[in-house]
Amino acid sequence: MSSWYMKPNSEADIVTSTRIRLARNIKGIPFPSGMTDEQKKELKEKIKAVITESNTPFSKKLKYIDMANVPEIEIKAMVERHTISPEFVINPQGKAIILSEDESISIMIGEEDHIRIQVILGGLCLEEAYDIASNIDDMLHSALHFAFDSNLGYLTECPTNLGTGLRASLMLHLPALEGSGEIRSLSDTVNKIGFTVRGIYGEGSKSLASLYQVSNQVTLGLSEKNAIENLKIIATQLIEKEKALRESFEKLKLEDTVYRALGTLKYSRVLSSNEMMNLISRIKLGISMGILSTDILPMKLFVENQPYMLMKKHGEISPQERDSYRASDIREAFN
Amino acid sequence: MKCEKCGINEATTHIRSITNGVIREYNLCSGCAMEKGYTSNHNSLTGMLSSLFGEFLTTSASVDTKKCPVCSATFNDIAKSGKAGCTECYSTFREELLPYLKRVHGSTKHIGHVPNNAPIMVVKQQDTVDSLRMELNRLVREEKYEEAAIIRDKIKKLEGKENE
Repeated sequence: MSSWYMKPNSEADIVTSTRIRLARNIKGIPFPSGMTDEQKKELKEKIKAVITESNTPFSKKLKYIDMANVPEIEIKAMVERHTISPEFVINPQGKAIILSEDESISIMIGEEDHIRIQVILGGLCLEEAYDIASNIDDMLHSALHFAFDSNLGYLTECPTNLGTGLRASLMLHLPALEGSGEIRSLSDTVNKIGFTVRGIYGEGSKSLASLYQVSNQVTLGLSEKNAIENLKIIATQLIEKEKALRESFEKLKLEDTVYRALGTLKYSRVLSSNEMMNLISRIKLGISMGILSTDILPMKLFVENQPYMLMKKHGEISPQERDSYRASDIREAFN
Repeated sequence: MKCEKCGINEATTHIRSITNGVIREYNLCSGCAMEKGYTSNHNSLTGMLSSLFGEFLTTSASVDTKKCPVCSATFNDIAKSGKAGCTECYSTFREELLPYLKRVHGSTKHIGHVPNNAPIMVVKQQDTVDSLRMELNRLVREEKYEEAAIIRDKIKKLEGKENE
């Protein structure tokens, strides 16, 4: 398995990634926002022990990391690669994470809920991601006995997660639907049937580079299987609409847009994060439409050229320096 | 666009609330949004949540004295923040929370994964007519007619019991 953004474009064409999140809590202690430092420490130790003492081949692949020991740049770079949620960055003391090497599995301790199991894979693979998350859930449950109510299901801090505690999300690349403005009315429709369309960093975030995250909202009264099936149906419809609209593009105009993006990426000396994302989005479209044939992994470039990912690679550099490093790294990738 | 409430400032906060399936949109300036309890660092969902709790805040003075034995949250604390204090809050304030959960999810009954050591009773309860119907629809869609027939008989049996 590899990180979600390393998946070749053909397999991760319109659906760039699949994310499954399960929210779980432990009885007898407040939710993280009301926990004392001592309680947070105890929680971390307890979960650490479960992973380190469990001698299965699977748990041996997981690494426990105390967030208090992770440098700020690395924490923010983790958000950029979607390994942790943006909310997880605040007050890293009292938080910990259990990671698989490729970061496709990340178990956040002390986020909104005591435990959030996240599985993120490239392309469209909801069932596979859910199965992985569910296995981790069962493994952790046998040691931690998560709070479960026969009527309300898994108990969570926010009542909107109650029941399955499942948030299944697909990241979609929808430049045609965005360009035509249809994405807005489609979002409204999707909203009415218990799903949401959001920007790439989840709740409250803006859409960048025509990337949209579609996820389920209802978690009570609907099984995991049904929630996932419904999400797949909605995503399939969005994908079909996107494809149909792409076919209606004027070929010459589309080629021009894609090649202009390629030209800029190949030769520019200064590239801001936003410009890079929008250009990569066009490259991704060009590859999908058969205009460009390249080994370049657009989402890999997209993620690796985010501000903190660049600082991780090149050290603490100023925003101006960052834009110049970004341009030079991207030039290298394309030439 | 001007703020709907004060009509003076530019509307910078756009709120969509869903109540009983009816969608309403509000366009407010940051001041009026704050007054209504929608702050910028609130995610839209939490904003929506505490607004859904709104009516309970004023009418539920009697439950205000009740405190959760684990985290000592009152129902008003939960209604204000839109969040429970600990897992025990759901037992302590079950009755107060149910109508609200029904609004958010359209249901108050968990259907789905049950952990290994949960009471067996729970598993049995899962076989409701509704859940069986969903299963039936799925099987029919997948053209698994033999399995569908078994589920259909189960539904008949359950419905028979309900009508007795």
